[in-house]
Amino acid sequence: MKKQLLALALCCVTSLSSANSEVKLEKIQVDPSVPAVKRGVEAFMDSCRGCHSLKYIKYQDLVGLGFDKAKVKEWQGDWTIDSPVMGMMPDDAAMASFGTIPPELSLMARARDGGNNYLYSYLMAYYTGADGVTGNHVFPASKMPDPLGISSATEPAQRAEIAAKAKDIVSFLNWAADPHEQERFKLGYYVMGYLFVLTTLLYMMKKRIWARLD
Amino acid sequence: MAHDEALGNVGRRDFLFKVTTVVGGVGVAAATVPFVTSMNPSADLLAKATTEVDLAGMEPGHMRTVAWQGKPVFILRRTEEQIKLAVASKGGLEPVADQQRVKQAEWLVVIGVCTHMGCVPNLEGEGWTCHCHGSQYDYSGRVVRGPAGKNLEVPPYRFSAADKLVIGEA
Amino acid sequence: MSNKVMQWIDRRFPLTSFVKHDLSEYPTPRNLSYWWNFGSLAGIVLVLQVMTGIFLAMHYKADVNMSFASIQHIMRDVNYGWLLRYMHSTGASAFFLVIFIHMARTLYYGSYRAPRELLWWTGQGLLLLLMGTAFMGYLLPWGQMSFWGATVITNLFRATPFIGDQVVVWLRGDFTVGDETLTRFFALHYLLPFVIIGGVMIHLIALHMVKSSNPSGIDLADKDNIPFHPYFTIKDLYGLGVFLMVYFGFALFFPNLLIEPANNIPANPMQTPNHIVPEWYFLPFYAILRSVPNMVGGVVAMGLSVILFAFMPMLDRSKIPGGALYRPIFRLQFYLFIIDMLILGYIGYVPPTDQTILIGQIASVAYFGSFFLVPFISTAEEKWLRKRGLPKQVEALIASEELQIAQKKSGGK
Repeated sequence: MKKQLLALALCCVTSLSSANSEVKLEKIQVDPSVPAVKRGVEAFMDSCRGCHSLKYIKYQDLVGLGFDKAKVKEWQGDWTIDSPVMGMMPDDAAMASFGTIPPELSLMARARDGGNNYLYSYLMAYYTGADGVTGNHVFPASKMPDPLGISSATEPAQRAEIAAKAKDIVSFLNWAADPHEQERFKLGYYVMGYLFVLTTLLYMMKKRIWARLD
Repeated sequence: MAHDEALGNVGRRDFLFKVTTVVGGVGVAAATVPFVTSMNPSADLLAKATTEVDLAGMEPGHMRTVAWQGKPVFILRRTEEQIKLAVASKGGLEPVADQQRVKQAEWLVVIGVCTHMGCVPNLEGEGWTCHCHGSQYDYSGRVVRGPAGKNLEVPPYRFSAADKLVIGEA
Repeated sequence: MSNKVMQWIDRRFPLTSFVKHDLSEYPTPRNLSYWWNFGSLAGIVLVLQVMTGIFLAMHYKADVNMSFASIQHIMRDVNYGWLLRYMHSTGASAFFLVIFIHMARTLYYGSYRAPRELLWWTGQGLLLLLMGTAFMGYLLPWGQMSFWGATVITNLFRATPFIGDQVVVWLRGDFTVGDETLTRFFALHYLLPFVIIGGVMIHLIALHMVKSSNPSGIDLADKDNIPFHPYFTIKDLYGLGVFLMVYFGFALFFPNLLIEPANNIPANPMQTPNHIVPEWYFLPFYAILRSVPNMVGGVVAMGLSVILFAFMPMLDRSKIPGGALYRPIFRLQFYLFIIDMLILGYIGYVPPTDQTILIGQIASVAYFGSFFLVPFISTAEEKWLRKRGLPKQVEALIASEELQIAQKKSGGK
């Protein structure tokens, strides 16, 4: 009896998991290399910084990334070098124009289900509706206007360029959410290699010691 | 019992035992590194953070101590007397002209850490005296009596206005 | 030279005798399988958590205005802070995984039976302490999930009869989860692991009294015990190597698998996330809680679902030793229970719909049923197996145990 009930339960469970009302996200491989992340910084300052801030990225972190101080000073303006990167739009202006304050983006690559895939798909999902109003397939309730212009780009070359810019921005945001990710992977390879060697040695010792038992 | 020999089977002088112990030991030693270094100053502390100092209200002969990168920095508004003494000689154990250590003669900016063992000297005598081991510095921050051997360090700084100092940026 | 030092110490402190008696020469059944590694593994994870926790605490700020940012400071600026943080978050999951397997071993092999009841109960106590520690630790990052998870769970204490509302406010230190709650949870989260260390020592003292059980369920003759060192020291070290590969695989390559995205958003008391979900190790109990439509009933059911394990020594009536080894029906019950836990875990994770609630209720009934049916099934199974015939050593053991009971009864008269 219990077996039948559980079989029934398992069937219901599997049918539920296939029912998916979510948008299909485009898969993207971010480029973690420093040049790509730096391109992303430039694109961010270009297309995002007008409204969005980066609460946990300081200007000195950008210098640490490899930008020269003069370049960073341009973005810095009157702020000190250890300040976070603030967006240009004051909160009250944002409330007046959009009815909401644009979220800060330093952790956005990790704050949404789908992570980098979500961010990239979102940026590329703007479209112009029949009535001429822009919308977003991935996040329909978004009040954010199309930052990269994909909704009005018809030429394949144009779209490809925007796609590349979106990828750079997501690569940067991926770095911004976890600046030590590459360092962590590198340590991971060393640690796994070391543990493999050590565990093998321990296994050999175990075998030898236990061999003595009759 | 054979159990004592079981370990002897992989005897203390055995190659496998030695190799495993060394490899394991290396891992344990390496594992302490993140813990110990996490206690060192973090990146944001060490970065070229600047400290802004408002110099208004400081009288000649008055010294202020401010923190920059976690270290005390002495800002001394020197009197005519003190400037004269500083310029008169090239110092003691590490000679250098006073003009090379200041941007404006009236203001001396030095890191207030004794170059011997790191205590903070007091403004006394004809300059500073370190009470830990007796080192003495003149009104230019130059060491005139040991056991310290080096002058007090001059940090990068600049005047952002007539009465405003930015320490950390030249 | 070192011999002289040891002699000096031994005259004043039972160091050598303790090490010999309870560590190096400690008699251990020679037939222990790798399922017996998980106790020592749990000890290692405890040490890992305490070490990483202490070094994290050097940088963490337990104030609602600073906690989220202090975690970012640790992740970005503190030397190897990112490593400490990911090791600690992965370690919490590792701890529960190891403990669940350790418990599963005990259930499967019947290691909770006399005379090991206190060993099992001290273990239960340790599990409760671990759950409390984990729950309080999860509030500390002050993310959306931290805040709302703590809000929901502290709300449950409203089920306390008569003084429910006051209990909730007392727990939180305020009417809502806030700065008071965060500060005290940090204080207690730092404290409880040391209480756990004390509890582990008591657990080990109980163990050394009754000695380890073994896969056959029948305590071996003295000659079949071997000294813990070098046999089990090396076996535990080898098991540790394998475990560390899995642990660091997660901590260094996939740490974010175990961190809910919503927890990367600072806590917002004005906005509940769409999908509040506890950490995976609480999911089955959470599912049971949600299965009961009545709040008090749900809390009682959830509490019962954790406490019920403690009753196994009394529920299991079978005299056949070894747990699932010689008892095919018990083995089936065990596997079905595991599957049931997995289903409950899934139900606890997904947002509740009519379908999932129904499945959850069926699975919860199955959960409690597994326990409540044990007395009946165990006696029936024993009767059946005895008729069928049991291995000689099992019959011999049962016979000698019954003889002992009879002798005690007659001796008492």
